[in-house]
Amino acid sequence: MGRYAIRRLLQLVPVVLGTTFIINYMVWQLPGDPFAGRCGQRPCPDSYVTAMREQFGLDQPILVQYWNFLKNLFTGNLGTDFNGVSVATQLGDAWPITIRLALMAVLFEAIIGIGAGVLSGLKRGGFVDNVVTVATLILLSLPIFVTGYLLQWILGVQFGVIEPTVSDAAAVPELIVPALVLASLNMAFTARLTRTSIVENLRADYVRTAVAKGLSNRRVVGIHLLRNSLIPVLTFLGTEIGSLMSGAIITEGIFNIHGIGGLLWRAINGQDYTIVVPVATLLVLVYLLSNLLVDLLYGVLDPRIRYE
Amino acid sequence: MSDPTATQDLIKGADDPAASPVAVRGDRRSLWRDTWDILKRRKIFWISLVMLILFLLMAAFPTLFTHKDPEYATLAKSMEGPSADAWFGYDLQGRDVWARTIYGARTSIIVGVLATLATILLGGLTGVLAAYFGRWIDAVVSRVGEMFLGLPYVLGAIIILGTVAPAQSNPGKAMIMAVVIVVLALLGWPILMRIARSAVIQAKHQDYVQAARALGAGPLRIIFRHLLPNSLAPILVYATITIGSYIGAEATLSLLGIGLRPPVISWGIAIADHASYMRTGAHALLFPAAFLSLCVLTFVMLGEAVRDALDPKLR
Repeated sequence: MGRYAIRRLLQLVPVVLGTTFIINYMVWQLPGDPFAGRCGQRPCPDSYVTAMREQFGLDQPILVQYWNFLKNLFTGNLGTDFNGVSVATQLGDAWPITIRLALMAVLFEAIIGIGAGVLSGLKRGGFVDNVVTVATLILLSLPIFVTGYLLQWILGVQFGVIEPTVSDAAAVPELIVPALVLASLNMAFTARLTRTSIVENLRADYVRTAVAKGLSNRRVVGIHLLRNSLIPVLTFLGTEIGSLMSGAIITEGIFNIHGIGGLLWRAINGQDYTIVVPVATLLVLVYLLSNLLVDLLYGVLDPRIRYE
Repeated sequence: MSDPTATQDLIKGADDPAASPVAVRGDRRSLWRDTWDILKRRKIFWISLVMLILFLLMAAFPTLFTHKDPEYATLAKSMEGPSADAWFGYDLQGRDVWARTIYGARTSIIVGVLATLATILLGGLTGVLAAYFGRWIDAVVSRVGEMFLGLPYVLGAIIILGTVAPAQSNPGKAMIMAVVIVVLALLGWPILMRIARSAVIQAKHQDYVQAARALGAGPLRIIFRHLLPNSLAPILVYATITIGSYIGAEATLSLLGIGLRPPVISWGIAIADHASYMRTGAHALLFPAAFLSLCVLTFVMLGEAVRDALDPKLR
């Protein structure tokens, strides 16, 4: 187990390097001058461009730039953006809001998704099963922003149940609807995964044994069936935390939440790549690490899986 | 207790593996035949097929559905609600929303289908190669795939599109669509690579492949005649669902302002243009959104119906 963890961690290193290199390369090296639009209607004077290029190290070869980026990343120095505001401060302001939003979304996914999946899996072909199948199909085909605008329009504009946009504080009650929107797609996946898993395990020998022993239905389902069926679901939820964070870009845009997604979004539109690169790197790291954690957790949850 | 004729069949089959696809046409039932038999009894398949045909007609012959010009704008009618004259009302520029929605189908379907084809080519090819040759090719392809998977979808698209075609630039119609297609394929190929790879790895050790190799078939023949046809089912299912999700992804990117943009007519652009006019004219936002969702639903439904029919144990 320990050796496996170390090996996985080592395997992660080239992937992290590769991904961050791709980000760096695409952001800084692809055609298009990052300083083109920074002087209003007229083109920037050469002196300004040269000074900025020097300040942000753009006059150096890409590999040197990348090396400096890595060095800064590991020393925790994220630098400043083009306007001279510390990137770390901006990240610090935005990060907690996105974490809150993502955690709430995962919670909704787990409660609603697993609940619906268990109910439909236990009574296959029944009324609940059909309702859940149709509902998940619809959720799967609604892009997140459609769900977002629809809820915003119905609940916010038509009925006035919620404020259409979230305030700066982004308190928990305000985030309920955005979190539901963010969770909607994965909720459907979770429900389906749970259902498949339950249906499969219902036929398993250990369930038959448990029933034959005369255990109550509650115990068979709650202890024997659920625990085993939820393993793939938990891993799914874990791996999806990373993509939830980037999915938050759209949700945060719709509901005007000032989180990581909003920060990234404004930076892209303002072509301020000094923010784009660290934020993107952070999101990628979260994504990869959550995947790794889930893989390791898998072995703990399911002892049948052996790591060589 | 073995059946003598069955054994004979087995021997015959082992004799000449290349002839097996022909033999299947006869009495024995092929996978596709079984699939069709299951499919044609399912309501959901027929519903999605009818919807698919409708959307394809819309994309190919928009004039069947509307005689109005989607570009013709009457500013006086800006944001007018639905009426008998204009079923879906008018948009911000006073253009007919129904006409624009109909014409939007073509863009979405072209982008979805072409991006999926590109994904299959890129992902399928790398997956098959990685699985067939194994060793360092497999390692390299898998790692590179992980790097691209490590870039979350929206994030990757924002970074690539934000730099290649920033919102301020103004490339031509075909160019905009091509860039979006390439980006979708570039970010989507690792998933297909994994599917193709695992399908081929499973098929690689089957007897018929060993037999073909023993008969002296080269790698190309083995891949194209034996491995690919037998790995097609999972790729096909994934591709159908992917068309749907790419159509949704295209709209998402257009919404963010980095995907398609005018003069292209698309549902995503229509939604993006009217997102901030929700209070005064939700119709210009909700109708394209409804068509978009229905179109995605069509492909997802079709893919799921085919998957269930191909692999009944999943149900």
